[in-house]
Amino acid sequence: MITARGLTRRFGSRVVVDDVSFEVGRSEIVALLGPNGAGKTTTMRMLAGLIAPTSGAVVIDGVHLTRATGTLLRSRIGFLTEAPGVWDRLTVHENLRVYAGLYGLANPNGVIDRALELFELRDRASTRAAELSKGMRQKVALARALLHEPRILLLDEPTSGLDPEITRSVRALLDDRRAAGCSILLSTHNLDEAERLADRVAVLHGRLLALDSPAVLRQRLRTGRVIVCLAGDPAAHLDTARRFDRDTSVDGNTIVLRLASAEHDTPALVSALAAAGARIVEVRQEVPALEDVYLHLMGDR
Amino acid sequence: MTVARIRALLRKEFLDLARNPTALVPVVLVTILTLVTAFGIAVALPILTGHLLGEDADLLKLSGLMGTHDELSGDGRIQLFLFEQFLLLFLVIPITGAMALAAHAVVGEKQARTLEPLLATPITTFELLVAKVLGALLPTLAVSLTGLALYVLGIALLAEPGVIGAMASARTAVLLLVVGPAAALVSLQSAIVISSRVNDPRTAQQFGVMIIIPLSALLVAQFMGTVWLSATSLALIGLGLLGVWLVLTVFSVVIFEREAILTRWR
Repeated sequence: MITARGLTRRFGSRVVVDDVSFEVGRSEIVALLGPNGAGKTTTMRMLAGLIAPTSGAVVIDGVHLTRATGTLLRSRIGFLTEAPGVWDRLTVHENLRVYAGLYGLANPNGVIDRALELFELRDRASTRAAELSKGMRQKVALARALLHEPRILLLDEPTSGLDPEITRSVRALLDDRRAAGCSILLSTHNLDEAERLADRVAVLHGRLLALDSPAVLRQRLRTGRVIVCLAGDPAAHLDTARRFDRDTSVDGNTIVLRLASAEHDTPALVSALAAAGARIVEVRQEVPALEDVYLHLMGDR
Repeated sequence: MTVARIRALLRKEFLDLARNPTALVPVVLVTILTLVTAFGIAVALPILTGHLLGEDADLLKLSGLMGTHDELSGDGRIQLFLFEQFLLLFLVIPITGAMALAAHAVVGEKQARTLEPLLATPITTFELLVAKVLGALLPTLAVSLTGLALYVLGIALLAEPGVIGAMASARTAVLLLVVGPAAALVSLQSAIVISSRVNDPRTAQQFGVMIIIPLSALLVAQFMGTVWLSATSLALIGLGLLGVWLVLTVFSVVIFEREAILTRWR
């Protein structure tokens, strides 16, 4: 479990992270969203024990992260840095072998073999990292971060630069890790990824602007707009619809209106239209995308 | 401290060097140059010019600093003096080549963006720095020892009879076993300190090269006969250097600011 309590980090007079608190529970993925310079990497680095917060605390699995506990806790964390940071002159296997030694793994070759298998890197084991594509390097970095089977995963843009196929396999892997009980915090610019993967989304811009599940965040921005698709001429049913919203409009074969309480009023609207002879094909509420929520939050700062 | 972590990083250093052997070319070249210069002056030049070493009164006088070696000819005494001088040069100069490796140690990782994942592992600063020093020291010592073997073999084969036996002294042992390794450790640890504080490998190297200035001064003084260091003096210098190395090691750990390296270096 990852706990950040009132994390603040200043660089000189500049406050990069301001009083940020959140938790990532077991078997949970939290996505950290924010524009460049929002403090995502700084937050990750504080949680990984690489930089100290100016104030606030980090607790990993119940242990306060301090200078004294840093070495112990770093052995429990898998940290994927912003850049893959693989040693170019070493082969994929050699890169992983060095890290297996740094983590003091008992059966390094067995662990590396499993990692190579998992990331489909077996045929590249003897390839020097310099000869790998950006996506492959990212896979090696991910394999490295997961090598010691950490319960805590901090992943800075894990699918950045990966092609769709590899991205899908990484997402599946993160799903597996979540099922295995890992606490996973990942930063991403990819809102679709956050929506697909994360149990909760944290929107950061120095301060924590929002922290909730994607569904709840979208709910916040509900417009109350209801779209009714009809077979036939929708204009014939405008008067019926305007009993619910005087500003009802027609757009092609749809009627678009705004309801004060979509949940409460939609059944009555459907009944009224049906009674008026309308042939209803589809009724749906307009649900904002996570991107809309994100942009809304950024605009509100 | 965990030896396994030092060994793991050392493994990386050696693999990296094995894939980039040109990094050792300066060390090898300097070693070869020292060998050629030593045998050129002490053996080849007198043969080529026809002027025996023993005919040079100044050199004969200087060779007296080595003590009386009645068992040696005049040429032999001067060869003994010259080979002893070159021994010091021989032990110290290759370190300057290794400085490039050490100077690159930390700042190079930072530039390649490989430092952050490394620092995110359980490795301590002490372990990291020990591995980095050994990573530069051990290959250099390997080259130096190979050169030394050739040096001894050359003296046994090419120098006047008795010179190799006269060199087997306490002074030589102190030079080889204490002063050489201690000077190397001080130099390389200094380079690591510098490498941890600058943000450009070239700056680290330029600072690192300054370390040879006092060593060069000592060599020149010895050649001129201004300073002659006995075995005891050399032993004291060696111990002093080991003390300096220990202080530098502690200092390098204290001033190694992981945070500053990650956040302020660009």
